[in-house]
Amino acid sequence: MSGVLTMGSLDPAFSAATQIGGEPVVLDLRSVEFVEPAGLCGLAALLEYLIPRCEEVGIALSGRDVPAYLERMNFFRLFGDRVRTNADVASLEERRRHNPGTLQELINFHTEQEIPGIIERISEILENQGYRLKERVAICSVLSEVCSNAAEHGASSFGAYAAVQAYHHIVSGPRRRGEEVLVAIADGGVGVRETLSRNPALAEYTTTDNDALRHALEMGVSGTGEIGRGGGLALVAGIAARSGGSLSLRSGTGRVTVYENRKNSRYVPEFPGTFVRVSLPRTPQEKSAK
Amino acid sequence: MPEERSRQVFEVAGGDFGGKLMVTRSTGRVVREALEEALAALPKGGVLYVDTRGVELMDYSFADEALGILASRVASGEYGDRHLVLIEGDRDLLENVEASLRQRSLAIIRVEKVGGEPSIVGQVPDHLLETLQAIYDAGSITNAALAARLGLNHTACNNRATRLAKLGLIHRKIETAAPGGRQYTYERVV
Repeated sequence: MSGVLTMGSLDPAFSAATQIGGEPVVLDLRSVEFVEPAGLCGLAALLEYLIPRCEEVGIALSGRDVPAYLERMNFFRLFGDRVRTNADVASLEERRRHNPGTLQELINFHTEQEIPGIIERISEILENQGYRLKERVAICSVLSEVCSNAAEHGASSFGAYAAVQAYHHIVSGPRRRGEEVLVAIADGGVGVRETLSRNPALAEYTTTDNDALRHALEMGVSGTGEIGRGGGLALVAGIAARSGGSLSLRSGTGRVTVYENRKNSRYVPEFPGTFVRVSLPRTPQEKSAK
Repeated sequence: MPEERSRQVFEVAGGDFGGKLMVTRSTGRVVREALEEALAALPKGGVLYVDTRGVELMDYSFADEALGILASRVASGEYGDRHLVLIEGDRDLLENVEASLRQRSLAIIRVEKVGGEPSIVGQVPDHLLETLQAIYDAGSITNAALAARLGLNHTACNNRATRLAKLGLIHRKIETAAPGGRQYTYERVV
């Protein structure tokens, strides 16, 4: 495991998870020094995959910063009674929980009806932190659309996990000056390829996971084929691209990342569901005048 | 002069379900059902103004469910000769409404306030835009006069105006013209 817990750094664990035969499992996260929302949601999805398949699941952590961050992000509230850990969670709970960069702690949701409440809360936090209306709209639109997709297409025993974090530096790619908001969501549903396969008109676009992911990012592409459906993800990709950020969509063995002027795809270890990560950098002129 | 029409203003940010943040299809469905009720209650020829000025965020799912589907039903004739007009400024909020209507090859009239200058949100083919502009410039105009103004034959002109009327962007009146003929008159909705 590398020093930064991202979705990609969990790939070996996702590969190994498919070989699990019921024995106790420990995820060794001791080398992790920094956790981004994508890693947190990926970890939640991985644990949801492992817990019903293993006698016991543990996570090994080191130091205080990572366990403290996981505590602030509500990780132990969601998994504390289902996962064994070497971290002293009781002492972490006594610490002050304030974390100005946290826009949304790790949250578990199942239905579309829960989304307006999530959006209202994050909008209020953004407003209190001086984000301009345009920025708030971009962040909330991204979050509501990807949450809606997860609630509608990602039905599973655990629903979906989301987290949003603001950083005072750019964390996507080489670390550099600037500010960035990261939105991540993971669900345990059937995945993009199977969803699109329900629409016979899309047969030629669902040969591989990457074909399906690329096509899902086009305007108006949906599993139902109804006019008006399948616009949300394309618009989210547009919001991310316009801000100079990116959208990564991962499902099955595919991963597609969309930037302003290019779209990359690659094959990755199987992800049991759908995962979305959106990077929204804040440019200086977008920041609120203080 | 176009005739005075009954009108009702529906504030999306007000009411029991409204708010500044309008997201998800299920919220959009609730708002659409309220809009449909208001539209159906209007007398024939009436205009329902949907005022979204108090809304800060309208995501695509909400916009399509509340306004895209409603515009689609108006265009299919489900509400007879009743019209939908959006009250909204020229701001980012329109992006998702525009995207939904373009997906559906539909358009609705937008004004910045009741009585304000109308514009279009959504998709209207260029040749229909010219016809629409001519009708709005005139306020009320017969097919013959419109055809002359646009340099079209009467049938082509009537076909264009009929498409605009079906989209709910203009009002079309059929009057009897002696002897035994019919004359179409087109009027702006707002």
